Amino acid sequence: MQFKKLFQVLVLGGAVLGAAAGCTQANAADKDKKPPADAGTTDSSGGGVKGW
Amino acid sequence: MTSARRAAAEAWAFRARVEQEAALRFDWLAGVVAGFDAGSPVPAMMRRAADDERRHTELCATLAASLGQSVALDGDPKFVSIAPRSLDERKAALYEVVAACCLTETESMATLTTLLAVETDPEVREVLHAISRDEVVHSRMGWAHLSRESVAAEVAFLGPLVPGMLAGTIDEGLFGPPPTDEDPEGLLRLGVLPLQKKREVFLGTLEQVVFPGLERFGVDPEPGRRWLAQAAAQR
Repeated sequence: MQFKKLFQVLVLGGAVLGAAAGCTQANAADKDKKPPADAGTTDSSGGGVKGW
Repeated sequence: MTSARRAAAEAWAFRARVEQEAALRFDWLAGVVAGFDAGSPVPAMMRRAADDERRHTELCATLAASLGQSVALDGDPKFVSIAPRSLDERKAALYEVVAACCLTETESMATLTTLLAVETDPEVREVLHAISRDEVVHSRMGWAHLSRESVAAEVAFLGPLVPGMLAGTIDEGLFGPPPTDEDPEGLLRLGVLPLQKKREVFLGTLEQVVFPGLERFGVDPEPGRRWLAQAAAQR
C-alpha cells in the first residue's frame, strides 16, 4: 500500500479541485440556519459512516 | 458453501447497503453545500457521486447474490444525519462530508487499492475496477470541500468530534481476533480483506493519509489519535 501516493492523489488532489473554482465566503446567516428537525444524532458527539 | 464464500457474500451485501446510504447522503449534501458555496465544484460532484453510489449498490447486491446472499434493500430509504444536533447547517454539512468522504471514502479507496493489487476472481475484479474509478472522486470531493471551508469558515470545531466519527466507522471486531474459520486467501479472491490486513490498511490510512490531511486543513488530529490508541489497547 502506497499511503504517500494516496495522500497525494486524494488529499492534495482534492485541495487542487477545491481551489480551482471561485472562493467561498462565510455567510453570517449560516450561523442561525439549523439542519432539518429530524436530522442529527441524539449523541452530542455525532456518529460515523460505515464503509468497506 | 465455504467459509470464505459465506463471509464474502455477507461483506458484499453489507457494501450494497453502505452504498445505498451514501447515495442519500450525497444527494442531501449537494443541496446544502450549493446553498452557501455557489462557486464550489463540490455540489455537482456530489450529485454525480449519488448516481455512482446507486450504481454501486446494484453492483454489490448482484455480486452478493451471485455468492449466495440476496440483499434486502430499503425500498424507500431516508437520509439520517450523523452530525451532532448542536451544529448549524453549514457545520453539520462539513461534519457529514469529513466523516463520509475524508474518512470513509478515503478508507474505501485504500481497501480497493489493496484488493486490486492481489489476484481476485474476474467477476469480482470487474466490480472492484468499476467502483474504484468513482471512489477516487468521492474521496477527493471531501478534501476539496474541507480545503474550501478551511479558508472561508471555522473548521477547528471538528477536531474533538473526530473520535465520534471513528467510533461510528470502525467495525466492532477490527481489533479482535479473526474468525477461527477465516480463509485469508479465499477472502482476497472474493474481494474481501482478511481481518489482519483490514486492520493494517485501516490504521495505515488513518495515520498516513486521513490524520495528516485533517491537520493540513486546520483540524487537530490528536483527539482522533488518542481515541484510536485507546480503542486498540482495549482489544
